[in-house]
Amino acid sequence: MTRLQLPLRLGLALVFFLALDSLAFRTGYTSILEPNSTAGYLQQFVWNEIHRPLTGPNQVLAVGDSRVGLKTRVANLLTPETGYTLATIAVPGTTPRCWYYMLREVDPGRDRYAAILVPFDTYNDREFEPVADREMDLRYLAPLLRLSDLWSFSMSYTEWPLRALAARTVLLKGMAFQQDFQAYLAHRHAREENVRLVHRMGAFWIYNSVWERHNLEGIEVDWAANRVRVPDWADAARRREIEEVLLRPVPPITPSYAAYRLRWIGAIVDRYRGTRTRIVFYRLPRGPVARPGLPEDAASSVRQLARRPGAMLIDEHTFDSLERPELFGDAMHLNEAGGIEFSRALAQLVRKWLGPAGIASTVRDERKDVSGRVPTRHARVRAPQEPAR
Amino acid sequence: MLFHTPQFFLFFVVVVALFYASPRPFRKYILLAASYFFYMCWNAKFILLIMALTAIDYAAARWIRRAATGARRKAALVTSLAANLGFLGFFKYYNFLASNLGLLIGKPADAWALAIILPMGISFHTFQSMSYVIDVYRGQQEPIVNVVDYALYIAFFPQLVAGPIVRARNFFRDLYDWRAPDAAEQLLGVWLVVFGLVKKLVVADQFARLADAYFANPAAYPGWLAAWSGVLAFSIQIFFDFSGYTDMAIGLAHLLGFRFPENFRRPYLASSITDFWRRWHISLSTWLRDYLYIPLGGNRGGRLKTYRNLLLTMLLGGLWHGASWNFVIWGGYHGGLLAAERALGLEPKPSLNPLRVLLTFALASIGWVFFRARTLHASLEILWRLFHAPAGHLTWPHWQLWIAFASLALAVAEERFQWFERLPETPAWVYSGVIAVCLLCLELIGFTDRPVPFVYFQF
Repeated sequence: MTRLQLPLRLGLALVFFLALDSLAFRTGYTSILEPNSTAGYLQQFVWNEIHRPLTGPNQVLAVGDSRVGLKTRVANLLTPETGYTLATIAVPGTTPRCWYYMLREVDPGRDRYAAILVPFDTYNDREFEPVADREMDLRYLAPLLRLSDLWSFSMSYTEWPLRALAARTVLLKGMAFQQDFQAYLAHRHAREENVRLVHRMGAFWIYNSVWERHNLEGIEVDWAANRVRVPDWADAARRREIEEVLLRPVPPITPSYAAYRLRWIGAIVDRYRGTRTRIVFYRLPRGPVARPGLPEDAASSVRQLARRPGAMLIDEHTFDSLERPELFGDAMHLNEAGGIEFSRALAQLVRKWLGPAGIASTVRDERKDVSGRVPTRHARVRAPQEPAR
Repeated sequence: MLFHTPQFFLFFVVVVALFYASPRPFRKYILLAASYFFYMCWNAKFILLIMALTAIDYAAARWIRRAATGARRKAALVTSLAANLGFLGFFKYYNFLASNLGLLIGKPADAWALAIILPMGISFHTFQSMSYVIDVYRGQQEPIVNVVDYALYIAFFPQLVAGPIVRARNFFRDLYDWRAPDAAEQLLGVWLVVFGLVKKLVVADQFARLADAYFANPAAYPGWLAAWSGVLAFSIQIFFDFSGYTDMAIGLAHLLGFRFPENFRRPYLASSITDFWRRWHISLSTWLRDYLYIPLGGNRGGRLKTYRNLLLTMLLGGLWHGASWNFVIWGGYHGGLLAAERALGLEPKPSLNPLRVLLTFALASIGWVFFRARTLHASLEILWRLFHAPAGHLTWPHWQLWIAFASLALAVAEERFQWFERLPETPAWVYSGVIAVCLLCLELIGFTDRPVPFVYFQF
């Protein structure tokens, strides 16, 4: 035996190991993830969207987190009128980084949607919650990451321990799904049954869920004294949460958050560059009571992104009329009534923003100029209807 | 810095790189510095203790050699033994003795209790030190001239924490006639480390959860099936935990050119308790034989004396494991079984006899109840549950049952074919394939964010 035996055999072992890991976890295991786990929950939305029968070319997809108050069943009652079908992959707790990878998964050919609705809580780069180094994203995205994402995804974190963790998540799927796999071994039949049930019923549950019926009518905020009066029905936990959200200090505009948004929302915009899909930026209803006096930032990342081809920036005050206590169940989320009103409004506005259904799919050929380049769509579509602020 | 943490592997890679990059005369200094650093990662202050014991035993051995009379030689030996047993006694047994004395004279158990930290590996390195000094006294070992060599023998990091207890002649043979491990030895070293990790992280730590849950609250798991589930889970945990550590220690030493003796030889396939102790923690049982049982008279003084010596040896062996009556009873239980086997004339059989193996395993497992339970009362309660209705339920999930069966199959195959030692001689794709499967097992089951300490680290 030569002295090279050890490195050679260890190298071979590493290759075998990565092959085994890939064989086990890159060939369909993600379809049996525990539906109630973080990764499994996100995967459920992705699976539903991939398997949703498309009713035509005028599909509009909403990405976002739990604050996206879209009830697609309500919105799609208006399809005969608007011509657009709305769908959602808005998953509670997700961030723009997650949205990018989810879109890549549900729309690999970049030809599925007429538009993608991207929500913002603010058009300014005020970072209410730090997201660039969010470890939770690793758990959400474990099923969607590919080997080719190793560098770009890992380096999107700023701290080295998280970069290492991210690289591990990309490379070693078995480690990412370790707990899930052990739970699967322990209760294999129950898991398989649960997954089958979720595949059969998941979309129905998502699209027909009933939200909070309480509302915050009676809430009063004294911004000067930094005090909030919460309706009596709210329990201590709800009360504390409302106070924490509404009275939290306004963070400064940070370049790092702008960079994060430019990177991940920019990646979504760039992904659809040259396709028929428009990326629509809109601001969500902010809460039952909006904090007054926050200045607008004309140079924010969102406004920079809106200048890219394919992007549309919607007037940030479009949904201000929904910022009413009776439409919110807590400090951030629309309640059932709010969701219904928001969904109806969104369905109608989509029609307004995108134009009559059917045109979007045929616009593609008309839009090319003689050089074959695609002009900036947001400028053409938005200019007459939504002047930039 | 536990063996199964990334920090240790980083440390080991740096040590190996420095070791092989250095000129040979410097290598022992690198190993000693690394060993002291490894020890200080646990608790820096206690390095003084290990240095003090090293100095005392080094000087005692030299004194024994130079002493003109037998009385002086004996004085040097007694000084060394007193120092070792004194430190061991204070750190390990003071609170046990104080509480029992307190109870005897009607004081609260904690009347004289002290907040004492048990120094890492003290039971192991004191036994190693004592064996060296006794061997020098007996003329079986030349005293070591270079204090650095001796300090390395005591503190060598692969075996510092939990053995194996290496005899001086074996260690210094490897140190003075050091030769680089050849390719086969390197492959064996890596294989031992990887397989040790699998034993610890994939098997032991999984069964530790079941055992911990049961022993924490036996009443929550009614029935004898549940009781046996908990007890057998601990039997599996302690074997795979300790033998996994030992495999890693032997493998790490192998990669540095030191060849440690075997410490476990499939003890749960033993056909009697006598056979069990020839296979379990071999370095301790041979130490007890050579430095306790034989000096007590061994089997030379007739049957009754032999039984007494067996019982005494095992009682002290039990007490060596920990300062509690449970360990004493555990030792006494094994001593009693050894004496009973001798009285019945039961000889270990070379071939596997499933019934005898099963009975021995059951007897060893019953003994583990005293080893694992927190109190004597808890031990007795669990023993009662092992043999009383109702049946209750097995608490093992299916896949852990499969792990147990797979382990048994591998052990039987090793007993018959010695596949473990032969693996490095197999074609590259076989060796690499087996390592890859081990890595996959570690990935899926082993590595967690919260490593479970090795059971024997507490001794």
